Amino acid sequence: MGIRFFILPAILTFALTTALSARPVSYTGGSTVMYFSDELKESVYYHYSPSYRYSLGLEWLKDKVQNKNYAYLRYTHLLNRKNTQTSQRNLYFQSGISSEGIDRNFIGLHGDWETRRLFTSFGLKHVQTDVKDYTEEYIQLGLAPYLGDYGDLHTWILFKAKRNSLTNEWNSYPVLKLFKGNFMVELGYDENDEWDAHLMYRF
Amino acid sequence: MKRILISVFLLPSLALAGEHQMKHDKHHSHDGPENHENHLHKMVDGQEFQLDEERYNKFVADLSTAQIAILSVQGMVCDFCARGIEKTFKKDEGYQNIDVDLSNGKVLIAYDMAVRLDRSDIEKKILSNGQNLVDMQILTIP
Repeated sequence: MGIRFFILPAILTFALTTALSARPVSYTGGSTVMYFSDELKESVYYHYSPSYRYSLGLEWLKDKVQNKNYAYLRYTHLLNRKNTQTSQRNLYFQSGISSEGIDRNFIGLHGDWETRRLFTSFGLKHVQTDVKDYTEEYIQLGLAPYLGDYGDLHTWILFKAKRNSLTNEWNSYPVLKLFKGNFMVELGYDENDEWDAHLMYRF
Repeated sequence: MKRILISVFLLPSLALAGEHQMKHDKHHSHDGPENHENHLHKMVDGQEFQLDEERYNKFVADLSTAQIAILSVQGMVCDFCARGIEKTFKKDEGYQNIDVDLSNGKVLIAYDMAVRLDRSDIEKKILSNGQNLVDMQILTIP
């Protein structure tokens, strides 16, 4: 009853809104489907990880800055990982080449450090377009209000601050992240009445 | 419409989070491995290691004859990150059952007695999920 109560709305949300992510590289042989939406874009992204060190994927997106649709061929590489008994730290390189041309692309870095109780991450991305290049950056700090067991519903309450060079303003807001099994959802709502929505399914 | 969908999704999820918290508080009065009240101390080849007793008893309840690989894993800090471990070992020949203990960084895998357990193979499988194996012990249920 409990599981169905959670999964059915998740599938419904996934199906109706298209779909989203946390870790940019999965385990070896793993696939991931994500949906992402914020004030800059709405996208669906699929990636496959031949190794836990890198992933290859395709992202279909509606670019809200340029007001057009196109796709990215994406490559993500795990540059560094440090595992301890109580924590994990990661640094990733991210890149993408647009279907509009090789000169429309992006590169970026993503880093995170987490324990079972605390989570921090940052991201930095430079996007080249045919209209105007821009950069995006963000930081996230989070706390797990309780420590669930394997298979439980896990909850994170996060604070996110982000900026893009188009508006040149920092925007900060709370984010709720929930995951259970292979599903994850992350939702944030900022003062400008904009939703950040991430959904992810890993298989 | 988007807000309605998200509300429909969030409300039951938050209710479940509270339910899990109550269940968790009831069964565990601690977060980490430092509390020894509910731990089972086993000796293997003269080396002692700890297991959550309730968890271990539940794991072996349906097993008759098996060998259990007890793995200490580093970097297993979230459920979502540990999913690949379960998926990988479930494909193994002679696999019977698996338990992932996030609190103590332990993975228990039960195999048929006929299976020859190879530490380097298990280490590679843990690494393919992005974590590190730091210790491995084998228990047998005769």
